[in-house]
Amino acid sequence: MASIIYGQIAKIIVIFIATLAIIPIISGFFGFFLPSFGYFPILGKNEFNLNYFYLSFSIPGISKSITLSFFTGLGSTLLALFFSQVILLYLFKTRVYNYIKIIISPLLALPHITMAIGLIFIFSPSGLFFRLISPWLTEFERPPNIFIMPDDYGFFLILGLVLKEIPFFILVSLAALQEFSARKIFDLGRSLQNSNFSSWCILIFPLIYKKIRLVIFIVIAFTASVVDMSLILAPSTPSTLAIRILQTYQSSDADSLFIASNLALIQLFIIIILLLFWMILEKIVSHKLFFIFFMKILSFKIFFIKKLLFITSLIFFFLSVLGIISSLLWGFSQNWYFPNFFPKNITFDVFTNFYNENRFIIFISIFISFIVSLISSLITIIWVELIDILKIKKSFLEWIIFIPLFIPQISFLVGIQSFMIFFNFDSYLVSLIIIQLFYVIPYNFIILAPSLREIQKDLIIVATSLGKNRFQRLINIKIPIVMSSLLTSFAIGMLVSFSLYTPVYFIGAGRVTTLTVEAVNLALSGSRQDLGVATFFQILIPILILISVAYFNKKMIKWRL
Amino acid sequence: MLTNIKNIFVKIIFNLCLIYSLIYFIFPSFAFERNNDWKDVLKKAYGQTIYFHAWGGAKNINSYIRWASSEVKKKYNITIKHVKVSDTANVVSKILSEKNVNKNNNGTVDLVWINGENFSLMKTNNLLFSERWIFDLPNSKFLDFSNNPSLLNDFGIPTDGMEMPWGVSQLNFYYDTKYINSPPRSALELKEYIMKNKGRFTFPQPPDFVGTSFLKQILIELISDKSLLKSKYVPHEHEKELDPLWQWLDEVTSHFWRNGKNYPSNYLAMTELVAEREIDFGMAFNIAHASNSISEGKLSNSVRSYIHKKGTLANVHFVAIPYNSSNKAASKVFVDFLISPEAQIKKQNKEFWGDPSVISINKLSQKWKKKFLMLPRGVATLTNEDLKMKLEEPHPSWVKVIEDKWIKKYGSSD
Repeated sequence: MASIIYGQIAKIIVIFIATLAIIPIISGFFGFFLPSFGYFPILGKNEFNLNYFYLSFSIPGISKSITLSFFTGLGSTLLALFFSQVILLYLFKTRVYNYIKIIISPLLALPHITMAIGLIFIFSPSGLFFRLISPWLTEFERPPNIFIMPDDYGFFLILGLVLKEIPFFILVSLAALQEFSARKIFDLGRSLQNSNFSSWCILIFPLIYKKIRLVIFIVIAFTASVVDMSLILAPSTPSTLAIRILQTYQSSDADSLFIASNLALIQLFIIIILLLFWMILEKIVSHKLFFIFFMKILSFKIFFIKKLLFITSLIFFFLSVLGIISSLLWGFSQNWYFPNFFPKNITFDVFTNFYNENRFIIFISIFISFIVSLISSLITIIWVELIDILKIKKSFLEWIIFIPLFIPQISFLVGIQSFMIFFNFDSYLVSLIIIQLFYVIPYNFIILAPSLREIQKDLIIVATSLGKNRFQRLINIKIPIVMSSLLTSFAIGMLVSFSLYTPVYFIGAGRVTTLTVEAVNLALSGSRQDLGVATFFQILIPILILISVAYFNKKMIKWRL
Repeated sequence: MLTNIKNIFVKIIFNLCLIYSLIYFIFPSFAFERNNDWKDVLKKAYGQTIYFHAWGGAKNINSYIRWASSEVKKKYNITIKHVKVSDTANVVSKILSEKNVNKNNNGTVDLVWINGENFSLMKTNNLLFSERWIFDLPNSKFLDFSNNPSLLNDFGIPTDGMEMPWGVSQLNFYYDTKYINSPPRSALELKEYIMKNKGRFTFPQPPDFVGTSFLKQILIELISDKSLLKSKYVPHEHEKELDPLWQWLDEVTSHFWRNGKNYPSNYLAMTELVAEREIDFGMAFNIAHASNSISEGKLSNSVRSYIHKKGTLANVHFVAIPYNSSNKAASKVFVDFLISPEAQIKKQNKEFWGDPSVISINKLSQKWKKKFLMLPRGVATLTNEDLKMKLEEPHPSWVKVIEDKWIKKYGSSD
């Protein structure tokens, strides 16, 4: 009897949460979908028309912006996926493999923008690279007059995204590798006289791929519409579509809201087309003929290429580290100008000034990400429990959780803004936290849900027979068992929230700012010293989060034993 | 006799009442009353919080605003939250959309730092708080409105007392004397310089404020009839007047820094480029910018400022209260503090901002007069004599045209 009541309540709650989640998503969607056809009743526009498509496509240079976004999304995802596999393949059989998670964690934790700034510090004509070879080799007394970055084709944007997504792909691949006996399969491949390379490609990669397909789709959607990295690394005459949306939205023209919405819809189309294109690629790659072709390629002696690939991945790794180190150095240096390779003087003034002026921002950034991740972890646990009570298997409802990651952030936020105006909602902090939840819950869910669901049924049955009710079982048995994934997901949630740019920019509306938004502003104002200090905190805070979570994890395990 | 005196007495009293009420009706801000009104404003403002939307790209300006906020907190218990804006057009469109959905009080913007086309847009859309409010503020007595028409005109548009002057700026350039002997001091000389020194000149990418102003500067120097710029832009009639500007740009753009395919995002990013010697010239609207950057250690001591021979664009920047500001009283009190001698001298001080004051020295007490005259100038700041040649801002309607056409021609290569 009791269980029936439980079931009814659970059902109601599931429907309630699902509606709560769906309402903002739908309003965000219609918030840009309707205005893009010229329909926006509060502004007295009650008629649908296709006029704004015409206006969008007549914006100068828009076709180049669209092309840029398209190829950024495709290129960076493909390359990042490829190199993540190359790195794993080379490290799989070595001792480094055990430490790989620790090595990539800091890189993973960095906000995207930090990586972009690092690249600027290395590759601009006055950057580290030219300082290294000047003036002794090049005789450059001043930065050379060459045009390197941001390049016209968005290669640096792709590079920045690749550097940032490789660690992410490695992390999810590692998780996937744990789910099947990869070592055995790999050895089997080797014993059949296949090279490391081909064993990986033919036997292991397809298994990984199946597990990380969703993540790949998320990365495609993200990279094709990235805002913060584009602001720094994309060409500016013209920039990517995401930036064009931002610019249009900000201009004070009467029509800007409608055109921005229309561009947001086009951005969504681009992502849909990219995903379809990717699925066609999947079909081609898995085709028999292609497989034979692929085997032929792999059977060549491609020692040179393989070494080249490995060296490229190493270079990628060092680029990321070097860029970050040099931006850190800037925060503590004075008069560090071309062609000095090292700063002449070290100073802490910039650091203390920055800290004094931005203490509140640093605090609020940590606060927001803490609250967001906390709520998000709670929601994930409640959701999994509820689904468990209702015994729904592979619920389509769970797709709702991932929708926000497929709608381009910029489009969604332009849409949400229209509704915020409509509802006259004034609390910026609360609405920012709510909106951030949509971007944090999916990551919490990916990490936490599987481990919650893998708990052995025996333990639960024993607990039930001991008269423990559902809530006691959750608190006393389930949560202690999944404690380490809970902490990991909590940390990742904080990191995701901490590095969000677009939602804070739009929803915070300047009243609530975080360090990431501040860092982008500093980067655009070219203040390298302050930017260096901002970068310092951008790195320090995520690493502190990771370390403290690791510490708690250790403590908890001791306590449990 | 007695009744006569009584009558006269009554008459006098009656007349006094009449005169008094007349004065009261005609001049509501009659000195005595004004004082009382202001006390009311202060009372209303006490303990309130306002959101001041102001461009937040420059560190020294931000810290100046922070200082001003802490002073008002101490004096009047008003909390100022500085909302750092990257483009003021964004603020205007926000207020406009609030008006569209009838959010007529409790707006998100309480006070905005503004001038030029953004002001004109707010004025034409009736987004501004009542006319003449600026004259109600006690400290407005330090501004010489009658002798200085630029305080009541913003890009040729009468302000009608709907925005308070805050500071004065003039477009100026700077260069390092160690490497360059004599900088180009006109559009034509500049063209020559750019053609000879490929890749060493750039400007902030329009629609950035300084970038667009640079284009206006070149246009003013090249246009056949300057007086055309004073009136509204008429689409078909005036289109060809812009041709000299496009011709100039057509010739030099490919010789810009990064081949004119990339531009710095604002004038601060240019400072860094000058410091690294990627480019030869920087530009700013703040006349003390080069000096400030020298004292911050960003630019070398040998950097100096200059303006073009025929003068450069000069304007006044203002603060305005939107019609739906949630707390007009507190905004007024803050504005009154911003134009006080205390706040203006600090603003003019090169250690803080270096932005010239809007108040007239002649209207100040001896003590303050002395203080203002004692204020040191930065090494790279031009004297008033050097800055004598000023060009008037074109009518705001030209701005949008220039920006759009520039973006079309140079900012969006396919």
